[in-house]
Amino acid sequence: MTAPAPLLEVKNLTITFPTPGGTVTVVDDLSFAIRDNATLGVVGESGSGKSMTSLAVMGLLPPGGRATGSVLLDGEELLGRSERELRRIRGERVGMVFQDPLSSLNPYYTVGLQIEEAYRAHRGGSRRAARAVVVEALERVRITDPARRADHYPHQFSGGMRQRIMIAMALCLEPRVLIADEPTTALDVTVQAQILDLLRDLQAQTGMAMLFITHDLAVVSQVAQEVLVMRNGSMVEHGSAEQIFSRPREAYTRVLLDAVPRIDDPFGDLRRVSA
Amino acid sequence: MVGYLARRLLSALGILLLISLFTYVIFFLLSPDPAVLICGKTCTPDRIDQIRGTLGLDQPFWVQFWDFLRGFFVGRTYGDGASAVSCPAPCLGFSFQTNRSVTEMIETRLPVSATVALGAAVLWLLAGVGAGLLSAVKQGTWWDRGAMMFALGGISLPNYFVALILQYVLVVQMQILPFPSAVPFGEDPVRWFQSYLMPWLVLAFGYAAVYARLVRANVLDTLGENFLRTARAKGLSGRLILRRHALRPSLTPVVTMFGMDFAGLLGGALITETVFGLNGVGKLAADSIAKNDQPVIMGVTLLAAFFVVIGNVIVDITYTFLDPRVRIATR
Repeated sequence: MTAPAPLLEVKNLTITFPTPGGTVTVVDDLSFAIRDNATLGVVGESGSGKSMTSLAVMGLLPPGGRATGSVLLDGEELLGRSERELRRIRGERVGMVFQDPLSSLNPYYTVGLQIEEAYRAHRGGSRRAARAVVVEALERVRITDPARRADHYPHQFSGGMRQRIMIAMALCLEPRVLIADEPTTALDVTVQAQILDLLRDLQAQTGMAMLFITHDLAVVSQVAQEVLVMRNGSMVEHGSAEQIFSRPREAYTRVLLDAVPRIDDPFGDLRRVSA
Repeated sequence: MVGYLARRLLSALGILLLISLFTYVIFFLLSPDPAVLICGKTCTPDRIDQIRGTLGLDQPFWVQFWDFLRGFFVGRTYGDGASAVSCPAPCLGFSFQTNRSVTEMIETRLPVSATVALGAAVLWLLAGVGAGLLSAVKQGTWWDRGAMMFALGGISLPNYFVALILQYVLVVQMQILPFPSAVPFGEDPVRWFQSYLMPWLVLAFGYAAVYARLVRANVLDTLGENFLRTARAKGLSGRLILRRHALRPSLTPVVTMFGMDFAGLLGGALITETVFGLNGVGKLAADSIAKNDQPVIMGVTLLAAFFVVIGNVIVDITYTFLDPRVRIATR
């Protein structure tokens, strides 16, 4: 029996930007794959190219950015697709959650409207019909009194609540893939844990594949089965979470692991073995 | 909301009182004796004393100021007996030059200034916001460069210069338009439009330039916001993203500026009205300053201050409807 085809497969992805001093490569020949119900953690310092990778998958690179290689969603090539075709994929088949939930939500509109427009952009229908979806989406991310809260504005929520709303928005169309770009970085540690819990539960319910981008190894150890370490746009090491945390092959991975405060490190024992 | 409104109006009233006090102090302390001005060349000391008595100029400052305020709210009577002149509220006194009621003078001039302000406002909002949006959406193209060059012209060329050029070209050389004069709309609509067209264009040019630059900068700022990336990641169409997510945050600050600018113009466009010879409040101000006609200067100053202060209150109230973050805070 062969393994099922990966849901999202990135092959030899290279991202370049033109600058006055010549072309700059921000991601160089990166490959990875994610299956249903699995989470790949992409770890690296800022500037390592991890966020650019996620934007390239969505076709959302900043102006001038050029991606070559291959991005396959369910076997379909995404690179080189027209804006119109990509628009149908964004939100509907790949959802995305960003780092700073306050600035990622439009302060002028209620959270209900912002979820509703995501739903209606793809499925159409009346506002009344979309309303039920909005309330259900908010309920799923455990917002109490969702029907009332849907009419509130982003600034009336706490940071953790806002990130729940972002997740509800990304998942209201039940995409098969969720890209989470530093979703817990702007949150304090207890709220961070709640959001990670929520993401794990939602994954268990829906069986979605998750691309989890973070600079924080402690966080990645809690969600990912597989870990990819990046530095300066290139892959340093790629393996199962267990292997990366207990037997890192590369010196850079070890440096990153040593940078994690011990009190947060659930793999403290294993690391001593490897040291 | 009601409490907020009451507070704002009360403080506006306080500001207006202070402004009137300051204006009164300036005219009281710095101006030559009005009685001498009124009396003219062939004047006797007796006559000057008589005028002083009639106008209340022999009273202490605070009494004079109090009389002025009372006159504004309940009206007053100058002199007594057979020569008494009544001045109904809102009384701003009488012109030293023409002896006409200042309130009346302003009343006849205000429609002209309002027409100038209103027409110019429509033009500059359309042109300024339009050019700003075009520039931002087509950033870096010739559209953008052209619009911004035009805006630079509007900002750097003085009003009176543009007015004179326009007048020379359109009236003198090409003879497309008649020389402007304040013709009422009801009398001759075509002539009315022709007369006001140049003042509108001149004023609108300057303001539109500022608005175009503001709108362009705001839209570009908003396009870089994280919530715009979110909107794209949701798969919204480009048009919806621009219309719903980029426009509203970009245009809200324009409301503030517009309120202030429009209110300022209602108090008279001094230079434009003077250049085109339109008998608006602005020209009244210019004329009365030239002739040191204190009651008129005082009246015009207070009128301008009144519009700005009220405009400010209206802008603040409008803002509570436009920005939900402000709205919740005031409740």
